[in-house]
Amino acid sequence: MPASAASVAPPRALAPARARPRTKRRRFQVTPLGLLGWLFLAFLLLFTVVPMAWMVSTSLKSEFAAIQQPPVWIPSEPSLDQYTRLLSPAGETGRQFLTYLRNSVWVSLATTVIGLVVAVPAAYAFSRFTFPGRDMLFFSVLVRNMFPAVVFLIPLFILMRRMNLYGSQWSLILTYLTFGLPLSIWLLKGFYDNIPPELERAARIDGATRFQAFRLIVLPLSAPGLVATAIYAFIQGWNEYVYARTFITDESKMTMPVGLEKFFTEYASNWPGLMAASFIMSVPVVVLFLLLQRYFVQALTEGAVKH
Amino acid sequence: MALADSRALIAPKPRPGRRPPGLFATIVRRRTDYLYVLPAILVMLVVIGYPLVSTVFLSFFEITSSGERVATGVDNYQRILTDRRVNFWKITGNTLYWTVGSTFFATVLGFGAALVLHRRFPGRGVVRAILLIPWVISHVAAAYVWRWILHSDYGLLGGSLVAWGALDQTPVLLDSKANVMPTLIAVNVWKEFPFVMIMLTAGLQTVPEGLLRAARIDGANIWNQFRHVTLPHLKGVVLITTLLLFVTNLNSFTLVWLMTGGGPANASALWITQIYKLAFVGSPQRGLASAFSVILFLIMLGLGYFYVRALTRGNPDQGAA
Repeated sequence: MPASAASVAPPRALAPARARPRTKRRRFQVTPLGLLGWLFLAFLLLFTVVPMAWMVSTSLKSEFAAIQQPPVWIPSEPSLDQYTRLLSPAGETGRQFLTYLRNSVWVSLATTVIGLVVAVPAAYAFSRFTFPGRDMLFFSVLVRNMFPAVVFLIPLFILMRRMNLYGSQWSLILTYLTFGLPLSIWLLKGFYDNIPPELERAARIDGATRFQAFRLIVLPLSAPGLVATAIYAFIQGWNEYVYARTFITDESKMTMPVGLEKFFTEYASNWPGLMAASFIMSVPVVVLFLLLQRYFVQALTEGAVKH
Repeated sequence: MALADSRALIAPKPRPGRRPPGLFATIVRRRTDYLYVLPAILVMLVVIGYPLVSTVFLSFFEITSSGERVATGVDNYQRILTDRRVNFWKITGNTLYWTVGSTFFATVLGFGAALVLHRRFPGRGVVRAILLIPWVISHVAAAYVWRWILHSDYGLLGGSLVAWGALDQTPVLLDSKANVMPTLIAVNVWKEFPFVMIMLTAGLQTVPEGLLRAARIDGANIWNQFRHVTLPHLKGVVLITTLLLFVTNLNSFTLVWLMTGGGPANASALWITQIYKLAFVGSPQRGLASAFSVILFLIMLGLGYFYVRALTRGNPDQGAA
């Protein structure tokens, strides 16, 4: 499998070492393999950007203009009507949409905050302490990543009904919490592992309690990790669909992904509206992610790459 | 605290020269340590342990329309293979096709992207950020955007192909039994290749420059450098990434569910979409769905074993707890 990947673009990976000692211009010299690499990159960019650009383009059209064939990229009469309709609390659609938006923010935020409160001490303990059973517990946490959401759907559905949480947003918060925890713990542990324990020890010697050492030394140093973990948990909660669809029946409690599906079934032919809604839904996560990409990528790859 | 060892995923070995105390004594001495992990473990137990046990339990029952539980023994397990509503062999074929196809192409594209982006060039950061976007956005938004692009009458893809003269009429993709799976896989690859890209980008940064230089001095060409230096170095990361992707794909639901619902005529039905259908659509068959879940669960457990092995490679016996 990797072999065929290699044949697609091996030159680039190895080129910089050769190019570095020479002048800057040398790097952009065109070789057949290099050209292949650029073409591949161009293809990837098109593959990635075209759907998103089409989403934005469609969202600026009228319903009639959207179904025009052949497809037109630049709308002849662009308008923000769809967006104003979705975001103005005056109309019925806007009220609905803003409710979904609010619910999503609340569920994702609650998941994130509670998740951090639970994950931080656990990750810290997994990183610093060596109590018996630590590795077994850590792995049982990790292995959770392997199990599909839908496998847990039926029993959780029954559990939530029994706990009287069915139909409440707390059922979602609790569920997302468990999905987020394994990865949060893993990410945070990676960050704690990288903070030299000597710093804490020094603080302890200077008379700090363990908690003070944690709060004053470890917490500030691991802030990027906390932020990355929080963002990840937030995005997970924001994007989740299956549980949100199954546990919430009351329209006033629905989150965005389910709301989007509802829009689709209700206004099946209003593609511009649907694309505008998709766009609004994607913007927060994309912005959050891009702002903190660096920390996040670092955290995610830590575990898989370093040993 | 054996702090120096805390980086390793595996248990630190007892320090030489110190007799390890008894297990029980250690547990008692370290009792406060458990407080830190207790909340996490509790949450996991309630929301994972309980459902697990109850799924296994439910799989031996059938729930009647009046809500009563009737014990049916292993009947549900037999019905998975025979019941027409499950359509086992069809969906197993689909699931394998989907999982292997998506994982393979996402790995190829992601690996290629990581290699291309390994070289410095102006705007590299921006390009990388753009390529990551599909991975971040919701499956729901992605599903609708692609449904719209692939629309049989007004889709961008079909419309453009016709306008460029490549086709006489717009192609039927999602509504065609023959085309639906490749189309869905392409969309899934779009969503997933950035993940491979991130993982392998980080992996590539760990390939020692000196080793590549040494290989070059010894006369290795680009291909041989890649084949004998870069690739062996990346083996572990590629393994973990592929395994994670494989499991993710085996468990996919949202994209397929929202794009085709498993149709047309089960042509794109996967294990998970079928379980969902059995459990929540029409007259629910939760016992049957639970039995199916248990089987899936066992498969995942097997894959989970390999996952842990891959994470702790070199120390397989210590991690597989």
